[in-house]
Amino acid sequence: MDWLFFIESSLAGLCTGAIYALVALGFVIIYKATKVINFAIGEIMMISAYFFLTFAGIFAWPLWLALPAAVVSGGLLGGLTEKTIIRPMLGESPISVIMVTIGLSNILVGTAQIIWGGGPQVLPGFLPRQPIFLGEIYVSSKIAFSALIAVAMLICYLLYFRFSRGGVALRATASDQAASFSMGISVPRVFNFAWIFGCMATALAGILFSASGGLSPHSGGMALAILVVVIFGGLDSILGALVGGLIIGWLETIVGAFWGGEYKMLAIFTLLTLILVIKPYGLFGTKEIERL
Amino acid sequence: MKKMLAGLAVALLSLALCFSSALAEDEIVFGETALITGVFGFAGGELHEGIVDYFNYTNENGGIRGHKIKHVFEDCGYKVDCSVAAFKKIQAEYKPLFYSGDSTGFMKAINPELKATENTLMSGVSYATNLTDAATYTRSFIIGPSYSDQMAILLTHAANEQPGAKIAIVHSDSGFGNDPIKAAKVKAKELGLDLVEVITTKSGSVDVTTDVLKLRRKNPDYVLFHGYVLTPINEFMQQMRDLGLKTKFMGTYWSSSELMIMKGGPSADGYLGVMHLNYFDMEKSPGKEWDAMRAYNLKVHPDKASRPNFYMFGWFQGMVWAEAIGRTLDAGKPLTAENLRATINAIENWDTGGIASVPVTFRNNSIPVGRIFRANIAKGRYEPVSETITIN
Repeated sequence: MDWLFFIESSLAGLCTGAIYALVALGFVIIYKATKVINFAIGEIMMISAYFFLTFAGIFAWPLWLALPAAVVSGGLLGGLTEKTIIRPMLGESPISVIMVTIGLSNILVGTAQIIWGGGPQVLPGFLPRQPIFLGEIYVSSKIAFSALIAVAMLICYLLYFRFSRGGVALRATASDQAASFSMGISVPRVFNFAWIFGCMATALAGILFSASGGLSPHSGGMALAILVVVIFGGLDSILGALVGGLIIGWLETIVGAFWGGEYKMLAIFTLLTLILVIKPYGLFGTKEIERL
Repeated sequence: MKKMLAGLAVALLSLALCFSSALAEDEIVFGETALITGVFGFAGGELHEGIVDYFNYTNENGGIRGHKIKHVFEDCGYKVDCSVAAFKKIQAEYKPLFYSGDSTGFMKAINPELKATENTLMSGVSYATNLTDAATYTRSFIIGPSYSDQMAILLTHAANEQPGAKIAIVHSDSGFGNDPIKAAKVKAKELGLDLVEVITTKSGSVDVTTDVLKLRRKNPDYVLFHGYVLTPINEFMQQMRDLGLKTKFMGTYWSSSELMIMKGGPSADGYLGVMHLNYFDMEKSPGKEWDAMRAYNLKVHPDKASRPNFYMFGWFQGMVWAEAIGRTLDAGKPLTAENLRATINAIENWDTGGIASVPVTFRNNSIPVGRIFRANIAKGRYEPVSETITIN
């Protein structure tokens, strides 16, 4: 056993896991508040990366402006989606709403193809490239800085939901919509707010992923692992999203490093099956979740 | 009076029908399942335009020995079930002489039905090694070297450049990615190369850090990429260059497009791709047909001054079909699948006027020949760096 390689791979896996956790957080925020399973999450990541490409690459805005602008644009896209597409579906069956989000994902792919073309794109480099060595341990600076940015965003979110009025309103709505409404919380506004915040987290993760993996209208497929993360961690659990992201990211990387890339999907879906057999509601999910 | 008018109308209609059917008899029909949309739409759209432009160019220049080309196609976005349905529909309606398939999966799945057709032959986007089995795929052929032959050409070039070199192969975990790996291992051994690592990546993989870690430990002289059209080759090259590795990078046809590699920046400089065609952008004209193709493209697409290698693929495929038909007609033989097949098999050292980068000779359903082109990032183009390499 090459322990140095194991540690290096573990670090890389945990860094990837931190970005997974950020996307999963975006997914969970939306689900927790609105009970909508957003299958367009990968495409929102992809479109947000195109926003960044436009701001930083085409408009040549500086990074400090382009990155927040792209993240906010992703959030606004989420808010607009909720207001115009999801809200009219309130009261419809979950399957109908899921189908709407699947339809939305196709619309976003087509829109990206029309606006930016179908070809592969490379985002303007904004992450450091110099390799980082911790003693003998090598860490890719791109993935390490991506993870740091993701962790910073995660901390901001957790603090916001814990201490701000908006965060309390969101948590209250997630616990009991009727009681929240009777206490003067505007539930529709909270729904909108959840989509904006959820999609902002997703947008940042999309930009970070695309900074390493390149970008095309079909990049949204990268979100498949995220569905595994949220089901594994528990659909409505923020803690589950964080822990699940790290575990899946680590496992996927270690399996890829020691057994080969062809076993990555096998490993994470085996783990998912196991956890669903043992804890059908996910690692930290609420037992009352309505399942599909 | 009414009866007279009605009679006249019927007579005119009959004449029109006779005239149109006479025209139809003169036409040669080609079919295609196009890849204009879907995950490979960026490549398939160019490929389709290459085919369409070649047919229009040929028709404007008198057709194939006086026969105009009729081109029928349906876009299926890389979905096998749709491709099968499109093939059946086009087959039932037009009975095309040649048909372009849009994936290996489709070309394999349709083989029994293809063999049952009256006269249709098929080529397409696939370079799958299985299709070189002429006994099974009696109606299919590949218009280039198979994936195994492409790998063999790259390995031969590496062996010529640096005998005994350390080689690593990085491929995707897909039918496309796994296709030539077994053959490449055998070929590397045969050439006396030291195969130090074979890495399989998940399709669409983003984080390549651990794979780069493996490569760093083995420090190969060459890394061969196969099974990728988009990601993650650029990321591999960037991380390995950042670590100070001097490794040379190589890739097979679909991984050697200008669309991806030219965006890789300085770390992609020197990337070596195997190609049986010339690129659209070359420093010097390789031939008259190449000049004509560029001129025609500029005439009908003035906004597209440059084209990726996928466009060349489409144009070349049309050329091969037209050449087979022209030679068969010249020999005074009817246009049957058997005769066309025999004509294709007999094509030897065909000079394509600079469209192909090698003299075209068919062997075992394919053209087992290629050249190595080097990416010159500063100039934004590939340049030939090897002579023709033929795989026996």
